[in-house]
Amino acid sequence: MPELLTCASVGTLAPDFALTYADGRSITRHELRGRPAILAFYPRHWDPARAEQLAHFNAMVSAAPGVSAEVPLLADLDPFGEAAEQFGVCGEHAVFALDAEGVIRWSHVGALSAADVDELTDALKSRCLAPLGTTAPPDVVPTEGRDLLFQQTRRQFIATVLAAAVVLAATPVEAKAESVSGALTPKSVDAIPVTLNVNGRAVALTIEPRVTLLDALREYAGLTGTKKGCDHGQCGACTVHIDGRRQLSCLTFAVMHTNAKITTVEGLASGDTLHAMQAAFIKHDGFQCGYCTPGQLMSATALLREPCGTADADVKECMSGNICRCGAYPGIVAAIQEVRATSRG
Amino acid sequence: MRPFDYTTATSSADAARMVAADPNARFIAGGTTLVDLMKLEVETPDRLVDLNMLAEKEPALAQITELPDGGVRIGALVRNSDTAWNTTIKSRFPVLSEALLAGASGQIRNMATVGGNLLQRTRCWYFRDTAMPCNKREPGSGCSAIAGHNRMHAVLGTSSSCIATSPGDMPVAMAALGAVVRVRGASGERTIPITAFHVVPGAHPEKETVLRHGELITAVDIPALAYGQRSHYRKVRDRASYAFALASAAVVLDVQGGTVRNARIALGGVATKPWRSTDAERHLIGKRATPEVFRAAADVALAGAVPRGENAFKIELAKRTLVRALTTVAEMA
Repeated sequence: MPELLTCASVGTLAPDFALTYADGRSITRHELRGRPAILAFYPRHWDPARAEQLAHFNAMVSAAPGVSAEVPLLADLDPFGEAAEQFGVCGEHAVFALDAEGVIRWSHVGALSAADVDELTDALKSRCLAPLGTTAPPDVVPTEGRDLLFQQTRRQFIATVLAAAVVLAATPVEAKAESVSGALTPKSVDAIPVTLNVNGRAVALTIEPRVTLLDALREYAGLTGTKKGCDHGQCGACTVHIDGRRQLSCLTFAVMHTNAKITTVEGLASGDTLHAMQAAFIKHDGFQCGYCTPGQLMSATALLREPCGTADADVKECMSGNICRCGAYPGIVAAIQEVRATSRG
Repeated sequence: MRPFDYTTATSSADAARMVAADPNARFIAGGTTLVDLMKLEVETPDRLVDLNMLAEKEPALAQITELPDGGVRIGALVRNSDTAWNTTIKSRFPVLSEALLAGASGQIRNMATVGGNLLQRTRCWYFRDTAMPCNKREPGSGCSAIAGHNRMHAVLGTSSSCIATSPGDMPVAMAALGAVVRVRGASGERTIPITAFHVVPGAHPEKETVLRHGELITAVDIPALAYGQRSHYRKVRDRASYAFALASAAVVLDVQGGTVRNARIALGGVATKPWRSTDAERHLIGKRATPEVFRAAADVALAGAVPRGENAFKIELAKRTLVRALTTVAEMA
């Protein structure tokens, strides 16, 4: 809502909020008047290193040269909460620095970097601690050793931010769940129990009807062999067999396939024995980066049961739904032709 | 993607009732167009009624059967691959098999159904982009393509409201073959000739067919056609396979002693609906099957074409595509 963003912009009086912490404590803007404050909105359950990062952030601001330790009040606020709405924050990281008069002197929306924290400490020194209408830094004498402490906490902060980024990349399910719960949804539909038959095993899932078969396999069943390329039926990376026929798992909902036999690339080999097509792909260099390979393999193995012509050109036409950005096509065609010749033999 | 309620139907009548009762409900069969557009939030149904389970309860919905007069009935749930590979269709109506195999990819043909393919929606990039005005997606918001990037857009059957191309191949072949669409609604069944099934955009591009909400396609009949095996589908696209038509031609031709006795012509990739050209057919009938006559017929077929800039090349391309298709069929033994 633009008007909320405007009312919480730098140079304006902070909204007349009442903050409630997770532990039940609460505070209003009036109680904060008379001293500068920092309000930090942190998405919950989003960032596994959140608590650690927040502690470092807190320590770093407290230790910043020229900033008295008593000055900042750090709040670990719900970015979906009422106060967040008043500040125009929508589920994101956000930090607001208020001066003693309750005027917003600095703000940042989005994840914090160490540079942002440097900027914040500068803002605290030059603006939040200064009387209104001036930009002169207050006459504060740094405590002994404060510079060193600041540098140490700054390094720790950077380390936790980097760690958080790595953890986030490794846990897409958690990230996705959070983004879904924060999305504006016109209709609420419950997740329902769905049992899929994947590679001969029953896989019981609890999913919403809108979960595609691809997402059900990858994000819920943990079968990440099937790849998500374009997610719009244009690349073939998500190809699986449904009742023996090659289909695109991104263009169908899992809930529609409770009575079907689904085979993914994980189901091609028999134990340690590769499917003939897998062995032929290796023999003929039918891949480079390998991302499209599961889809290519599923398409190629299904092709053996389809009325596809015998020429290389026929194979190319029949395989046109599988895009290989590395251009391993000659190897793919050779592998398929070899397996077809053998199985015809 | 927006959440939706998922329901399965116990009969085709039940499915039609369920969708008719809910203005924002949609049928789903293959899902290849619908799921794609739901991800883009171009389609935002509140409820999906899954038709796939009906194949067991009403087998005719998923079968191809020969009609007593030599025609063929294709159940609405028959997958495009199965229609394309069907031996009766390959021998009696090769143009239909060729059109199906020229469309999409092996995977998509295994999913897409005859009924769904008739309702495939345009690939107009403005229609697919909810940030852009589009009269088809949001009536009254304007057409971004007329003065925008329109290389892929239609030159036939357009209006000042919409120039979106009808994307399918199968419906073009069916238009040439004079197919009849069978539908079931709350008030019973009716049949609609395919040429009357799709409508040009006019002032209401949001309306693409004459289907009423809740009416369910149950089958498509291909009427007997003595010279149906003398047919061909020619498709020209930006790459050799797995691309939408820039221009395509479905041709059925009865040539005897070098003279055209009968002709069926439909164009794809250049029009707002599967474009049967009876004018071009009339021009051919009774004339010698020569390149000059074919070229003149192609001129007739494209006589009403309106270029909009980037798509002007399609007029000549469509003519040459049609001449090529006519030549191919005329040369058949």
